Amino acid sequence: MRILIIEDDALVADGMRRGLSQSGFAVDHVTSAELAEAALTQENFDLLLVDLGLPGADGFDLIKRLRRGGNAAPVLIVTARDALADRVSALDLGADDYLVKPFALPELAARCRALIRRSKSSSNSDLSIGALRLDISRRETKVHARPVDLTRREWAILECLALHAGQVVAKDRLQQAISSWEDGITTNAVEVYISRLRGKLGDDVAIRTVRGLGYRLDESAA
Amino acid sequence: MDAARSGTIRRRLLLILLGPLTLLLSLGIVLDYSAGMAPLQAAFDQALVNETLAIAAQLRPDAAGAIQFDLPQQAIDVLRSDKDDTVYYLVQDASGATLGGDAGLPVAGHAGANPAFRDAQFAGHSVRAASYRVNTTAGTATITVAETTRKRLHARRRMLTTIILSDLVQLAGILATVWLGVRIGLRPLLSLRTQIDSRSARDLAPLDETQVPGEVQPLTRALNRLFATVRATAQGQLQFLANAAHQLRTPMAGLQTQIELLIQDPAAAQLRGPLTGMLNGTRRLGHTANQLLALARAEPTAAAAVDFRELDLRGIAEEVVARQFETALQRHIDLGVEAAHARVNGSGWLLRELLDNLVDNALAYTPAEGRVTVRCGVDDGAAGHAFLEVEDDGPGIAPELRARVVERFYRPPGTPGEGCGLGLAIVDEIARAHHAALRIDDGAHHTGTRVRITFGVA
Repeated sequence: MRILIIEDDALVADGMRRGLSQSGFAVDHVTSAELAEAALTQENFDLLLVDLGLPGADGFDLIKRLRRGGNAAPVLIVTARDALADRVSALDLGADDYLVKPFALPELAARCRALIRRSKSSSNSDLSIGALRLDISRRETKVHARPVDLTRREWAILECLALHAGQVVAKDRLQQAISSWEDGITTNAVEVYISRLRGKLGDDVAIRTVRGLGYRLDESAA
Repeated sequence: MDAARSGTIRRRLLLILLGPLTLLLSLGIVLDYSAGMAPLQAAFDQALVNETLAIAAQLRPDAAGAIQFDLPQQAIDVLRSDKDDTVYYLVQDASGATLGGDAGLPVAGHAGANPAFRDAQFAGHSVRAASYRVNTTAGTATITVAETTRKRLHARRRMLTTIILSDLVQLAGILATVWLGVRIGLRPLLSLRTQIDSRSARDLAPLDETQVPGEVQPLTRALNRLFATVRATAQGQLQFLANAAHQLRTPMAGLQTQIELLIQDPAAAQLRGPLTGMLNGTRRLGHTANQLLALARAEPTAAAAVDFRELDLRGIAEEVVARQFETALQRHIDLGVEAAHARVNGSGWLLRELLDNLVDNALAYTPAEGRVTVRCGVDDGAAGHAFLEVEDDGPGIAPELRARVVERFYRPPGTPGEGCGLGLAIVDEIARAHHAALRIDDGAHHTGTRVRITFGVA
């Protein structure tokens, strides 16, 4: 997994580079938008970490130009700005996520993994979240290589959670994922399927309940 | 401005105009009266003179050449006939001896070829007398005719009444015209007032200068200049804060990641204790810097440049709970949400900051296995105010400290954790910017804390 960091602050860039390397990523670093574009014409990256406040062309310009040029690599903005306007315009321009400085390294690594996983899920039919393995095209589920037999609705819910692993998925959304088979499904039905999924997947797969909101599939069950 | 003391322009204009107008019209009454009375008096006097002339025609010399006055009773009756007044007459010769008529009737001065007039008393009445000296072949005689003044008084009274009435009608007409004119003339000012009244306190858009009269344009221009200055100041403040945030957070991010890496580095295993202390210190520093920036941005000068739009509190509640879920999980606290749709006009970014602080506090002070619930919706009151609240079952805040905890940097004595005492101050400031009221109560079953933000009541 190759990551390109576009960050002009040497200390931050060095911390991110070393931290992500320890998490198993191959990391390159450039200090400006212009150098980033040059690097992107040479090689492919699975994820771009973009600082908004760059010398010369800023992060917004870079993302705009990349998307216009057809580059679809996921972009995680890592910036000191946190005003709503920045967030909205960056996401509108085609950034995929947003992390405000200062951040904890495990958080950064988790966001990177989630973004790469989501971008791969469209091209690659394998999803891996902690002990859980999903083969999207064959609809096969494994926990620690142990096959788990799921019904169609259980699969639909798990797939939806897995594609957004680490994020809270609203109950309404899970309900929509299964409502194509059956009319008048209540949100109680979602609870029933979640409870069955937990039983079938065991303690090594953590599906957390967020009271009043939905569920979250976590990478680690700890 | 104290409206009661300075009054409205309309009232002032009317008060200023009322005095001079009344004075002018009173003067008009006096002038009209005197101008009208002179010809009236002259006409009545002329009638008296005619009677003296009629009497003069009856004077004849007798055989001895002396003046003889001999009026038949019939003629005297005609002379005295008047339906209002009593008429007296007196004829005297050159020596003043009475030749006929009412003896003792006052004679008007030195009557000459022109008749003379006089006001006098006779037989207990006010009379007007006219005297006329005639030269006959038999010598000179003075004829005086007098009448009581009843007719004159009557005419005078009628004229005065007419003048006063007509002038009062004029005064009323003028005042009504002035009132109407002032009203119509001030209409652009009133529409300006409506324009200012109806805008929200946060609206710094320029006023429409084309709709106001020339006299008021300097005022609207000054207001617009003021609005522009406030807007520029607010934007400058926001820009400054964005720069400050960048300058503070970037080195802190560098420092924090470097310390995190050192802690994991086996070569620095012996330093893990102090490094962890450094990491905590750096995190606190980052937290405090964030809180200070948030507080500065929520202050009125900067908040004036923040865009407000209609938004649903439910989305904000769900977003913040999803984001804080990880922290709650680590602290073994059950964080949940009970969100109903509630639309408010506000800044999504500031409201997220507000709710983040409330949830941060609840998670920090609620012990493990505790429960924190974020709620939003529309309250049961008749007005149906939107609200946002966070309830926990932690130790609670003593009632006497509730007013103080919103003060900046205030932390109740013995408060655990690493807070900087700015959280609730930020919440309070953001609530104010949204015309919302902050209220701290006990949680359910008289334990814990419930902080509620009610919109549209402040």
